[in-house]
Amino acid sequence: MASLTLDHVTKIFDQKGRPPTLAVKDFSIRVEDGEIIGLVGSSGCGKTSTLRMIAGFESITEGTIRIGERTINKLKASERNVAMAFEGYALYPPLRVSDNIAFSLLRNKVPKARADAKVKMVAELLEITDLLGLYPPTLSGGQQQRVSLARALIRSADVFLLDEPMSQLEPHLRAKLRARIKDYLIQNKMTSVFVTHDQTEAMALADRIAVMDEGVLQQFGSPVDLKERPSNLFVAGFIGEPPMNLLKAQVTAEGRARRLVVQNEQGSQAFSFGVPDRAEAAPLKSGRRLYVGIRPHKIVVAPSGNGAVERVTGTVVSSQWLGDQSYLGVEIGDAFLILVADRSIRAAHDSQITLGLPYGALHFFDSDSGEAVLHGSDLLGA
Amino acid sequence: MAYLEVRGVAKSFGKKKLLDGLSLEVEQGECVVVFGPSGCGKTVLLRIIAGVLEPDRGEVWIGGKSVMNVGPEARGVAMAFQNFALYPHMDAFENIASPLRARSRPEEEIKQRVHEIAGLLRIDHVLDHLPKQLSNGQKQRTSLARSLVHGPSVLMLDDPLRNVDAKIRYEMRLELPRVFRKFHSTVLYVTQDYKEALALGDRIGVLMDGHFEQVDTPAAIYGSPRNRRVASLFGDPPINLFPIRPERGGDGAVHAQIGGQRVALGPRAAELAGRDCVLGVRPEDVAFGFDQAEGGIPVELAAVTPFNVRTVTLLKAPDATEILASRPEDNSLAAARGHRKGWARIDLDRALFFDAASGARL
Repeated sequence: MASLTLDHVTKIFDQKGRPPTLAVKDFSIRVEDGEIIGLVGSSGCGKTSTLRMIAGFESITEGTIRIGERTINKLKASERNVAMAFEGYALYPPLRVSDNIAFSLLRNKVPKARADAKVKMVAELLEITDLLGLYPPTLSGGQQQRVSLARALIRSADVFLLDEPMSQLEPHLRAKLRARIKDYLIQNKMTSVFVTHDQTEAMALADRIAVMDEGVLQQFGSPVDLKERPSNLFVAGFIGEPPMNLLKAQVTAEGRARRLVVQNEQGSQAFSFGVPDRAEAAPLKSGRRLYVGIRPHKIVVAPSGNGAVERVTGTVVSSQWLGDQSYLGVEIGDAFLILVADRSIRAAHDSQITLGLPYGALHFFDSDSGEAVLHGSDLLGA
Repeated sequence: MAYLEVRGVAKSFGKKKLLDGLSLEVEQGECVVVFGPSGCGKTVLLRIIAGVLEPDRGEVWIGGKSVMNVGPEARGVAMAFQNFALYPHMDAFENIASPLRARSRPEEEIKQRVHEIAGLLRIDHVLDHLPKQLSNGQKQRTSLARSLVHGPSVLMLDDPLRNVDAKIRYEMRLELPRVFRKFHSTVLYVTQDYKEALALGDRIGVLMDGHFEQVDTPAAIYGSPRNRRVASLFGDPPINLFPIRPERGGDGAVHAQIGGQRVALGPRAAELAGRDCVLGVRPEDVAFGFDQAEGGIPVELAAVTPFNVRTVTLLKAPDATEILASRPEDNSLAAARGHRKGWARIDLDRALFFDAASGARL
């Protein structure tokens, strides 16, 4: 196990007959020894190119990648001491599942009995014990992916690289295997980097997450950082399910007092509330155009007491109960808000409902640059 | 008599029996979700109702009449698919108006109906936009408006939210019921997403192995599933299933070993002593805490995995039994790493008991 450093890494694909494309731009992160890191973003954001540069499948156009103190830019993939489970990284069809998993151990002269014990352990972890005697072509996509994961996790390596490791997993196994794999990586102090398009998976597994868009790192932080302090509109909209409610707004002045006028999709006023007269609220300058955001589970139904909560009244569009949570769609002056509650909520459609928007849960983004200008939690500071 | 009736419909492809004589009744204005794993025959059922596929056996009735001799275009059934295609050279208004124009409706009526549905779907400000000028969400709404505008007697939607991004999926999921209400639509909605089924269905038909395993309200499907197969399809993380053999103790109370701990099962298990069962416990009905709890099971907290607006924990009992528990988002729990000792308490009032052999709920 070791730390992993990407220092100003850039990747430009320059193929003959095509214009060069910038896949990864000046990307820097440091992964601590034993840390689990997720690389997330939409397709084409540069996350897979980044992983492939670490693995040694792609050259590094600029910058340096180090494992521990060792610069690996010029090393072949096989010399980097990384273990990989790549999407479509094929299993050996003529070998049984057990031999596929044990392959790297036996090649490295690990005694047979010890290799067998490790195979048995990792097979139980990934629920493939019953498949050990089979050949890969007879397996389903989800089973093949679990075998591929087993083959990577069983190795000892400085860094583990996993490309969409759970994209094919059977839904009924997903929650349990996510938790088991996380436990396994932590127990064995495995420095891991995985790529996924699914932010839910990244939030479940990772200690820290690098959010990428168009080749550029948008934010690198813990799941809580990304939820509570998204650095820009992209991160705010990408992280969280349901995604953050984001509404256009403008700050107006009435004498000394400022108001935030929130707009609906058509551009007319939906509702408004006062801006607290505090130094921390300075970024909410009069005339400034913003997006105001709030995560669906931070909206309070029928807020009680006073506290730092803005109250708004709207009309219930629908109320849906999903077993362990409820979803509500509420229209406030034609602006649509989604909220999630962890209990069943009785709210008939077309009825009026009062919602609380806690200041501490509001996020403000500049409407031109998209950068976060203020997180409501800053307003609550002493 | 229900508005739409499927009576004993069977359909095989070669040797594969896809629909095995199934029946379903849908009342006027009702939304019934057909839910099941991929390949279970959901789409085939819709095609048979639409009239584009002949059943081997059975009948489809709409509005009190058999439609077996009625062509697809005359059945009054509208069908929308995963990929809503818009006419690229027509603006949103004309796209939505196209089914009315095809029926030669008067101009006044067309205007009024297009504006009404566009207002409902919040696209009235982009009606003069061409499809390429619309956002993905607006495109989705425009095509939905088009399938609804002429007031079909039965609307069938085949997994319409499968390929749309999360924001649109959640918005549409919440807005569709209002649209259905407004148009008094009788809806058959196909999905393989259990959350969509619970959210949208007045009732849900769980389609498995060619027949409906259960047709019921969302509350009944989730809270009183007919068997463990249905129970396992609804909920994420899925329901915990523990094999148990309840025994009657010296005090007369029935208890069982769960995770190596003797747990009193409460009055609901009174009749189950000596019978091999499976106890089903949903993750939200397991409370994890660091303090010893009355009736709790000693466990190790093995992993904390944040899961959207909730936090899921993997708990391990001393006998290696794994328990998944979920709670509202809990950042403090997720902040620490490594195993910690604690207690799991199962809410037995909400637990489900299944027969070990048949899987039927007891």
